[in-house]
Amino acid sequence: MPVVTLYLNRLEKLVGKSSKSKILDALPFLGLDIEEETKEYVKVEYSPNRPDYATDVGIAAGLQGLFGTKKGLEKIIIKKSDRLALIKTDSSVKKIRPFVCGIIAKNGKLDDEAIKQLIALQEDLHFGVGRRRKKASVGIHDLDALSLPLVYTVKSKDHKFVPLTMTASMSVAEILEKTDVGHDYGKLIQGQKVPMIIDSKNNTISFPPIINSAMTTVSTKTTNLLVEVTGTDKNSTEDALAVVATTLQGLGFTLYDLKTDSKSSSLIFKTRPMPLDPNLVNQTLGLDLTSATICNYLRKCRLDASPRGKKIMCNIPRFRFDIFGPMDLVEEVALGYGIQNLTPTLPLSASVGQKNAITKKMDQLGQIMVGLGFTEALNTSLTSKRTLYDETKRNSSKLIEVAESKSLEYTILRDSLLPELLENLSRNVHESYPQNIFEIGTVFFGDSPINESVSLACISADKDASFTKIKATLQSLLKTGSDIECKTKTSTNPIFEQGKTADVIVNDKKIGVIGQIDSKVIENFKIRVPVSGFEIALSDFF
Amino acid sequence: MSQVLHPIEKTIIKLLKTTPNLTEEQIVEKTNLSIDQTRRGIEWLRLKNLATVSESEKSFVKLGTNGLRAKQDGLPERKLVNLIESQPMSFSDLQKKLGNEINVAIANAKKNNWINIEKAEPSNIVSLNQKPEQTREEKMISYIGDNGKVAADQIKDTATLESIKKRPDYIIVETTKSRTVLLSEQAKTIDVEKEDIGAIDVEAEVPRVYAARTHPLKDTIDEIREVFVSLGFSEVMGNYTQPSFWNFDALFTPQDHPAREMQDTFYIKDKLAEKFASADQIKKVSAAHKKGWKYDWSVDAAKKMVLRTHTTCVTIKYLADHKPQEDRVFSLGRVFRNEKVSYKHLVEFNQVEGIVVGKNVSLRDLMGIQTEFYKKMGLYKIKFWPTFFPYTEPSLQTMVYNERLGKWVELFGMGIFRPEVTRPFGITRPVLAWGGGIERIAMLKYGLDDVREFYNNNLSWLRNVTKCQ
Repeated sequence: MPVVTLYLNRLEKLVGKSSKSKILDALPFLGLDIEEETKEYVKVEYSPNRPDYATDVGIAAGLQGLFGTKKGLEKIIIKKSDRLALIKTDSSVKKIRPFVCGIIAKNGKLDDEAIKQLIALQEDLHFGVGRRRKKASVGIHDLDALSLPLVYTVKSKDHKFVPLTMTASMSVAEILEKTDVGHDYGKLIQGQKVPMIIDSKNNTISFPPIINSAMTTVSTKTTNLLVEVTGTDKNSTEDALAVVATTLQGLGFTLYDLKTDSKSSSLIFKTRPMPLDPNLVNQTLGLDLTSATICNYLRKCRLDASPRGKKIMCNIPRFRFDIFGPMDLVEEVALGYGIQNLTPTLPLSASVGQKNAITKKMDQLGQIMVGLGFTEALNTSLTSKRTLYDETKRNSSKLIEVAESKSLEYTILRDSLLPELLENLSRNVHESYPQNIFEIGTVFFGDSPINESVSLACISADKDASFTKIKATLQSLLKTGSDIECKTKTSTNPIFEQGKTADVIVNDKKIGVIGQIDSKVIENFKIRVPVSGFEIALSDFF
Repeated sequence: MSQVLHPIEKTIIKLLKTTPNLTEEQIVEKTNLSIDQTRRGIEWLRLKNLATVSESEKSFVKLGTNGLRAKQDGLPERKLVNLIESQPMSFSDLQKKLGNEINVAIANAKKNNWINIEKAEPSNIVSLNQKPEQTREEKMISYIGDNGKVAADQIKDTATLESIKKRPDYIIVETTKSRTVLLSEQAKTIDVEKEDIGAIDVEAEVPRVYAARTHPLKDTIDEIREVFVSLGFSEVMGNYTQPSFWNFDALFTPQDHPAREMQDTFYIKDKLAEKFASADQIKKVSAAHKKGWKYDWSVDAAKKMVLRTHTTCVTIKYLADHKPQEDRVFSLGRVFRNEKVSYKHLVEFNQVEGIVVGKNVSLRDLMGIQTEFYKKMGLYKIKFWPTFFPYTEPSLQTMVYNERLGKWVELFGMGIFRPEVTRPFGITRPVLAWGGGIERIAMLKYGLDDVREFYNNNLSWLRNVTKCQ
């Protein structure tokens, strides 16, 4: 989850008519988790579906609603621009990254903190609604550094400009090859031609979705901005623009129209009507609220709402694309009502609960193992090839591997419990003996497409650990647990010593293996006493 | 107070009562105990304050190589006077007989006033002066030699000893540390014959044994399971490996969503699900994605096998397959996240999730069931905060106050399944869902700060952590 740093003095000023302690108490009830708190600032985690909370203006608007000082939706006001305020789209770009929209924001001020937050907002939009810049990516420019109108077109890979944070010009090919962003997002633009936004003086403004040009870098001296959003999904580009525009208006900028082809950007910011049934609210929340009260709570969440007949009609600002349907509005009502004001109720159960039969059986067999003097170990299903196969000399030809694990220790799904139990012993060589441990756990086999079954394995390490002793343990487990007699039939198995291992046979069917652990295997695990053990499949007993 | 004494202790006490202040070696000598038994017995007595041990150093003298030879053949000056007893001999003849001992022999014989030396050519003549009596040195050498080893403090004529010591390799001085055992006043009163025969020392330390036991994390899991059952929930189970369909698609997670990318999900190499859902289920989920997220849903992406990232895939499949009108079920088990392992993150951990389906169940009911659950787990100070989960709406999280840490800790999450999740499977009634990680609760319970401890299988921890918590 993303995190934003809120400076309390700033936030207090933005919210107005409040106090720091009141703000701190209220933040969690907007759905913001306080991660870190000092006298000057708090770091809060916000949910990725509310990118407007990447900035303190967004959070201030939310708090004003909760405090009741400002309610209802903040209307987006777009002033008319002259005819040059335009992004023309060249047909050549339609096949690559077809959609573009934008806005102009004037007469505002940005300090370092606001710039930092705008960049974070941009990154959230790129990640979430932009789907890692594929569906939408945002560029924010210094309006005074460019000349309108702009053209959204394509260029070849030898096209050159000075990219953001650089001082010398680079070709598109170089940017894709040599920069981090080029590496990360270059795969989004296949083919020889790449999208480019050019101004009327033929200067490059942006190379979407990779990087802006250095020429239009925004700084604390910038007062007028141009925002452009390009992407492969029209809806997503407009969603992203709506969040940026709302935030800039909140920061005190005046918004001006930026046409894309013949379409005015003000069309983008139309509110969305959505009817809400008060019964759904009351049923879901377990409350009995009037329509008027519900409307009040919705307005506290900065939406517009008014009763219409038996229903409530809501108006949702464009940037609240996290609202899919009426159930999302129910949550808004709950927030407006205040989660702290909801008292819990305990519904009577119509059912009698019970454990799963398999769980029960596993518990019972575990109890028998404890009775036989074995302590339970818990190991992970994912382990390493080294433990599972190499050090135990087992055959790895059918291993099941996960893709791109972040740790070499967790790459293979285990097909046996014994290797990790041996690994456990190797970490406990300084503890007193005898060491008797067991595990009941899931093992994985690679067919149809993956077969999972539950196994029980145990090992005993002591100076006089022997085949006889471990066979006695196995017999007792099966007899006590399920009144089963087993046979042990001579076999070979790389983890066990030749001549001291057998298959475990129940009703003419092999259910497991037993034996004295091979001396080389013991040596591999740096264990200095004899070890014997067995592993049986439990699936047949369930 | 009656003391229970070991036979070894009794033997030692009995001996020391008659012969006080003996060294360990002397006790060995005078009893049938071995040195090890004696030392052990003395240690026990010492711990019981029945004896004290004073350590002291003691010197012994014995003859060296030259001393031993002198005892057998006589000192060089004795050899000399023996040679001239019947008649005087020339210095050169004596030198032939005595070799390099000649100078010592002449010097000492002269000092003893045994001989006269007459100047003559070619060699001086040595003759007897008076009858040579046995010297003090000779007496001492023969005394030490006869006894083999004599305590230095037993030799009174220290001047003679010192003069013998001046002769090379005549005397060897050995220093040994000895431990003298003294009975305490209390011990002196013990009548060992009267002590209860066959009684054992019930106050003594014994070797430690460890009870075999179930794993502490397993105990917590069982406890949680019991609480769910007592609240009327029944357990459902499912595989750890799941088609993406049930782990993601069925829960309305779009296929191009960053959460589905490799970074935190374990995809299983080269494994695709074959038959994973009914044609109708697939069709309706596909339609919900198209409508809600506006993209072309792909059945191939839904086939990719993953290690489940939550237990919700088990509950949603149960709901989809059974379409219950009224129900309480829970699923519990391992879930997986492709993350870096740290003191607070594991790649594999346990999660529990409960769901309630019913006609009129509400968010307040969900909060009530939570409150009851925590109460049964011994957690009384809780509060609820709003939060975000992709497949529930509204969504809350529980905060539990931890006395040890002195702060609020985030525990289970909860919410009502989104209609976009339930509707494609024909579930029309509200579904309350809640759950979270179990290790987090177990850490609070066992006071652990490092979650990895649960899977280290460190025997010293497993053997010693308190079971009844």
